[in-house]
Amino acid sequence: MEARLEGVRFAYGERPVLDVPELRFAGGRVTALLGPNGSGKSTILRLLAGLERPAAGRVLVGGKDAPAARASVAYAFQEAVFLSGSLRANLDLALRLRRLPSAERRARLAETAAACGVAHLLDRPAGRLSGGEAQRANLARALALRAPLTLLDEPLAGFDERGRARMLAELPALLRRFAGTVALVTHDREEALRLAADLVVLREGRVRAAGPGREVFANPPDPETAAVLGYALIPAGDGLAGVAPGALRPGPGDVTFALDVEEVADLVTRVEVAGRIGGRRVTVGLPPGAPLPAPGERLTVGAPAAMAVSFPDQAPATVDSPARASVA
Amino acid sequence: MEAIGDGLLEALRLIGAGDGELFSIAGRSLLVSGAATALALLAGAPLGYLLGRARFPARTLILAAVGTGMGMPPVVAGLVIWLLLVRSGPFGGFELIYTKQAMVVAQFLIATPLVIAFTAASIQALPARLPDLLTVLGAGRLRTLWLLAREARLGLLAAVMAGFGAVVSEVGASMAVGGNLAGDTRVLTTAIVTETSRADTERAIAYGLVLLAMAFAIVAVLTLVQQRGAR
Repeated sequence: MEARLEGVRFAYGERPVLDVPELRFAGGRVTALLGPNGSGKSTILRLLAGLERPAAGRVLVGGKDAPAARASVAYAFQEAVFLSGSLRANLDLALRLRRLPSAERRARLAETAAACGVAHLLDRPAGRLSGGEAQRANLARALALRAPLTLLDEPLAGFDERGRARMLAELPALLRRFAGTVALVTHDREEALRLAADLVVLREGRVRAAGPGREVFANPPDPETAAVLGYALIPAGDGLAGVAPGALRPGPGDVTFALDVEEVADLVTRVEVAGRIGGRRVTVGLPPGAPLPAPGERLTVGAPAAMAVSFPDQAPATVDSPARASVA
Repeated sequence: MEAIGDGLLEALRLIGAGDGELFSIAGRSLLVSGAATALALLAGAPLGYLLGRARFPARTLILAAVGTGMGMPPVVAGLVIWLLLVRSGPFGGFELIYTKQAMVVAQFLIATPLVIAFTAASIQALPARLPDLLTVLGAGRLRTLWLLAREARLGLLAAVMAGFGAVVSEVGASMAVGGNLAGDTRVLTTAIVTETSRADTERAIAYGLVLLAMAFAIVAVLTLVQQRGAR
């Protein structure tokens, strides 16, 4: 099922939140909405779920206006919310509200709970689940609906590091099995690229780039988008160079920079070197075993041309960038 | 001390003997305060729900007004209703003054702010995303309301207990608008005042015991329901 936003404008009171001339969520594909806090990602999910109405434009889900298409939508909120009662009662209520017969409810509940790893929690009070368990249960409730459009808001929030890694590995298969079209919100680039085929980069309520993930990642149209994608933005001549995360390596490359080392952190499996290139702070990861530079030393680092982009007309000071890269 | 002991014994005898006047007054108390609480719940719970859920400019002001209403002395509520219902008042034509209906209206005025405030607080304490979740899952408005009320049941039952407790024990409003007419508008609290002024300690104590027992029984049942729901 395809979903789209056409000429959508949305504001909370006087504060404009979203201005999207056109955005399409292709049927059967996973699309990640990536952007910093307040960029309008979750608002797009709320519009698709029919929980908000745009001030202008249309939000269409399977050709219908979003509020009329709610029966086709499943939504896992970032904050896992449950009614009182057991997890089983909560999952069953979701299926009952979709008017499914009891035999099908039982079958779906058992199948989805097992797949999501919450079968052993079904008879526990939903309000007493741990953060990671609650997030799995939250996902299970959304996936149990087998909705043509599934909306996931930060599906990996609330997990500890190990749980997050496990969920990140399991989620693609779960989505293939139980979901159709998926729109998921994240502010983590790696999460977006691992889970989604398509990527939408948002900043300040506007779509800065959209398309297949690899394409969007390789061709950020402007430094702001590059910054959201994790590029290190480095002054180069009169403009900026963007170096893809993981692309900077010690030694010269097709593009070469001089890094003034300020701090060196030995993290056992890798070494993080923080310093400045042309006044901008950059962190470079070195592989384990590499000779450790000393603070104050100047280190030559470079990247292949294919992993760098150039923004010749950008004044370096105007771009807010995390300026982080790693070699790991 | 002896008077109190004698009074208690006599009171227990009156209760044990099923004294007609005592039980008729107790029944009237239950009827008037029960009706006032039920009406307060009907009017106050939806208002409390709105105040708990909706955000609008005058909300804080209204909540403050409701809070003030919670502390309104019953005799002031009685005075307001008396001024409205007295023959020369704007609703004097209804001839409700010194009737049980007037007492219900006055007690309704006392109980409603309590019901509104308790309901608003219990609805506000629910997770903010819960109504959105129910909407997305496909619950209609009525189903959403029902499910939210079920989630807020502890607070709603507390609202009923607070409302009933306040009105069954008040005396000022009932006296002002009911007139404490024997066999008609006399309830347990006004009867206690009457018997105390007549120095009929035994009856006053008997009425007091019945009032306490009645309030305890009702609140105990509600608490039982509330705590079963909390498990």
